[in-house]
Amino acid sequence: MAVEFKDYYEVLGVPRGASQDDIRRAYRKLAREYHPDLNRDSDAEERFKELGEAYEVLSDPNKRERYDRLGAQWQAQERAPGGGGDFEEFFDREGFGDGVRFEFGDGDVSDFFSRLFGNGAGMRSSGPLRGLDREALLELSLEDAVAGGRRRLTVDDGRSIDANFPAGVRDGQLIRLAGQGAPGRDGGPPGDLYLRVRLKPHSTFRRQGDDLDVDLPVAPWEAALGATVPVPTLTGTARVKVPAGSSSGRRLRLRGRGLAKQGGGHGDLHAIVKITVPKHLSDEQQELFEKLAEVSDFDPRKGRS
Amino acid sequence: MNEELVELSVIARQAGIRVTLVRRYVEFGLLEPASRTSEEPLFAPSAASRLAKAERLRRDLGLNYAGAVLACELLDRIRALEDQAR
Repeated sequence: MAVEFKDYYEVLGVPRGASQDDIRRAYRKLAREYHPDLNRDSDAEERFKELGEAYEVLSDPNKRERYDRLGAQWQAQERAPGGGGDFEEFFDREGFGDGVRFEFGDGDVSDFFSRLFGNGAGMRSSGPLRGLDREALLELSLEDAVAGGRRRLTVDDGRSIDANFPAGVRDGQLIRLAGQGAPGRDGGPPGDLYLRVRLKPHSTFRRQGDDLDVDLPVAPWEAALGATVPVPTLTGTARVKVPAGSSSGRRLRLRGRGLAKQGGGHGDLHAIVKITVPKHLSDEQQELFEKLAEVSDFDPRKGRS
Repeated sequence: MNEELVELSVIARQAGIRVTLVRRYVEFGLLEPASRTSEEPLFAPSAASRLAKAERLRRDLGLNYAGAVLACELLDRIRALEDQAR
């Protein structure tokens, strides 16, 4: 595998002649910027590791000297006619492979670092520590939230996972999957994965917290005389009694047919009466409506100025 | 979701750090025991990731304990504000 030369000075943004103080200052500033607990960009963690590696080498005079010497030779041959190519080939040819060994614990370092300081070389270890928590967005339809199920998700570190989610999840809820986050450091336990639930808007039901609204179209005679009509719910169909004399906008409550509530129970489903008239009338219907208009003294606009 | 509360030694193991270190963070106010009714203070399971976060920040950025606890609290506030703005 090709091992690419890494410019640790460029990583830290300091000139080659930088003092130890300059290097420490540059590292601290960039570490604050790219620390994965502070910066939630997906490439922040990679960048932070790179910074740690660069600082590990440049802050240690022995390692810095070795890096400077070999790096200069590598770059010189890259510029030479017919030169260039792989740092690893360069290493094998120049026979630097059995140089000074540094003793460190296991760490997550680049191939370049291992090559430069020997296999088994790692970053200075400060003991085991649990890995970062991860997050994935769980976008669900209202039906799926009520039913529960399984979903393929993309985690914020780019992984894909299949996650089970229980029935009755709420918008904004965090579901914790223990041990499914980033691996720990130096043998520490892994972090957790949190699924952040977001409920998608629905074409039929409007969500009001844990309650749901749904339009209930009824014919004028159903509204006037009363009727029992079907109403859609998230799990199927229910029947609701429209009382005689119901006008548009009347809210008929179906208790417990809404979404799961925090701490147990369910919200309600509100069927909202919406009187709907036929667009075309037959001759007979036309006559009957005219008759109704004649005999009725109902004034829906009564009391308006 | 209701999760079972756990003892200090359990969150220490889950965070990958020593019990004495957990006690120190409790003294600095990073964690509030969820229950003090039993002899041992009990914590929510999420306490482990909070501890690990504080410890990563402390080690990686050269903070002291108070600084790491402050950083965690500020991050929580930022997170809450971001959630509100969403």
